[in-house]
Amino acid sequence: MGFNENQTATIQGSEPVVSVAKPELINGSHAVIQSLIAEGVKTIFGYPGGAIMPVYDAIYDYQDQVNHILVRHEQGAAHAAEGFARITGEVGVCLVTSGPGATNLVTGIADAIIDSTPMVCIIGQVASHLLGTDAFQETDVMGITIPITKWNYQITNADEIPEIIAKAFYIAKSGRPGPVLIDITKDAQQKLMTKPFVHKKTEKLLSYHPRLSPKEEQLAAAAKLINQAKRPFLFVGHGVQIAGAEQELIKFIEKTDIPAASTLLGLSSMSVDHPNYMGWLGMHGNYGTNVLTNQCDLIIAVGMRFDDRVTGDLSRYAKQAKVVHIEIDPAEIDKIVKADAPVVGDAKIALEMLLPLVNENNHEAWKAEFKKYDLIEDEKITQPELAPTTEKIKMAEVIRTLSDKTKGEAVIVADVGQHQMMTARYYQFKKPSSFITSGGLGTMGYALPASFGAKVGAPDREVVAMIGDGCFQMTIQELGTIAQSGLPVKIIILNNNFLGMVRQWQQLFHQKRYSFVELQNPDFITIAKGFGINGHTCAKREDLHASLDTMLASDKPYLLEVLVEKEENVFPMVPTGACVADIRLE
Amino acid sequence: MTSYTICVFTENTIGILNKITTIFTRRRINIESLTVSETERKGISRFTIVIRHESRDAVEKLVRQIRKIIEVLAVFGYLNEDIAYNEIALFKVSTPIGAKPLDIETINKTYKAWVVYWHLTYVIIQKTGTEEEIFEFFDYIKPHEILEFVRSGRVAVSKSPQTLVDYLPEAEWEYYQ
Repeated sequence: MGFNENQTATIQGSEPVVSVAKPELINGSHAVIQSLIAEGVKTIFGYPGGAIMPVYDAIYDYQDQVNHILVRHEQGAAHAAEGFARITGEVGVCLVTSGPGATNLVTGIADAIIDSTPMVCIIGQVASHLLGTDAFQETDVMGITIPITKWNYQITNADEIPEIIAKAFYIAKSGRPGPVLIDITKDAQQKLMTKPFVHKKTEKLLSYHPRLSPKEEQLAAAAKLINQAKRPFLFVGHGVQIAGAEQELIKFIEKTDIPAASTLLGLSSMSVDHPNYMGWLGMHGNYGTNVLTNQCDLIIAVGMRFDDRVTGDLSRYAKQAKVVHIEIDPAEIDKIVKADAPVVGDAKIALEMLLPLVNENNHEAWKAEFKKYDLIEDEKITQPELAPTTEKIKMAEVIRTLSDKTKGEAVIVADVGQHQMMTARYYQFKKPSSFITSGGLGTMGYALPASFGAKVGAPDREVVAMIGDGCFQMTIQELGTIAQSGLPVKIIILNNNFLGMVRQWQQLFHQKRYSFVELQNPDFITIAKGFGINGHTCAKREDLHASLDTMLASDKPYLLEVLVEKEENVFPMVPTGACVADIRLE
Repeated sequence: MTSYTICVFTENTIGILNKITTIFTRRRINIESLTVSETERKGISRFTIVIRHESRDAVEKLVRQIRKIIEVLAVFGYLNEDIAYNEIALFKVSTPIGAKPLDIETINKTYKAWVVYWHLTYVIIQKTGTEEEIFEFFDYIKPHEILEFVRSGRVAVSKSPQTLVDYLPEAEWEYYQ
């Protein structure tokens, strides 16, 4: 146990005879850990080093209260914290040292800001008298992270620690979530606080007031458009999951009978079995959802930001449609697509308040239009992918078989590239909060660390990482973290010996000039074994079911490598600069 | 290109300027002038930033992005007609012996500019006014050889009767008296 505010002095081996309730002053490092505990933190992903050593010395005393997971590279800590945050909705916490420790975190922080992921990064910094002197492992972390953090702050005085950490958690989690970075100089970690430690949670700030309840007039204007629409189309964004608005969304959709489609990060918020679920949107989304985006008369966008991968050519995007935009971040309103009826607020509250204002409706004929496109897509793409006549295994078969075996209820963590798009297409999500991937930043190497972060957050759920052979080698060392922590994540490598998505673009748009996309890979199973992780390579279709069964039956981490067709392409596709209605099927 | 004046009210902490300017640079918007000072309330700074832009839409988006900085209390974008504004300029003008003397009366009466320092071979003239007025005076004084010229950033207040407190009634202002 560490220092406590009210330590009781006892004489060993007998009843306490002296009881002193004198408040003891603690040092900055203990204040850091006690503040984290007060914020409800149970797990920290971190990596020690010179400038953060006082905090690591303190954490040694709190191992019964805080689980520290030692990653193998700071980028892994950031993605693990993201995976944890994405599955739990709670703040993920990273603890790293100054200089390279901090810069290694940068990719993960940039990933978290663009995918609205709550994270608090605590970074060691050189002692305050050394700031600006190019001291060993000094880097201007504040300067570097301004554009990629929701808030950052440098602490040089131990007394500030509880208040700033409380503020950090409040800012990271409230409103549109995002990463917060706290840079703490080594002397602030070491010095005693001059007043007793008190941690009070932040409930509001002078200059930051995220609006949760939308304005009545905005809701009324939105409801009017919704009630007038003949061909309304609802887009489910990441904001639905962040707000925990899945049930409110279903109630809204069932009352209005509006067809819905999901963005990449909105996947799993609505079950694929729901009769109003029409698929997903964007570059590799479904045929009908993209084409009919340009034929609907109203878009109801819930918690999404009209990413360019969703819209394609903006000048030809949904020009015929009016737009209701439900969004917690006012800066997203009109940023890409003009909203006829903006609704600024939390998605859950907004949908709840909107429900009594909208009419019951029936959109059978309109919904049936999506089905027509589904039949074409099914015949041209989905069936050939799922039941191929070629010899090599296709990614789609692996993913759909996994989907069936896990009843669509596993947590799927996809990396970035073709396998990611295939996972989004072929995994049949039936349970909310089941899909974690790097959407905005497209960070290769995300999935392996994010998967064990997710497993920490959801220990009772099956967590499967879908990773390409290229991505896997970007954070391969995190196998060590998985082995040491014993977290039973299941890893599937879809190995085509290519950087597949780049190869696909080179094939389609660069006359098949395959410029540096072919990989000479190591023996992944031997590598896994070296880390103490069991694995198996599946090379034949006949072996696929048994391989997946073995993997899923394992109560330990497990690596399954599947050798898939080398030159497979992801379709449908809206090429860059094309219009969503011009989506290509081949 | 239209001139926009952006007034940003922030908590006065280290690094805010950097947090604000990064939003401009990322969007490739050049800052024409910048003035920072503490407001009538202790601990609250006011940034007055002048930019030129062809798209009002882009400026509105910029303003909304600045508002996202946690320490920013409020941001207002103004057109010139919305504000009372001024700048100050100093001119170091050469006055060598034997040269044509300065017409102090014209400088004072026509241009409302004042000599604030006399030297044997030069004077320093202070001129307050809008950018246009300062450049009118610049053209007038130019034949005398300008040794140095410096212009401040714009200071501006809105013509609206509302103050910051009216925009942010929920804030705990007693903390910043």
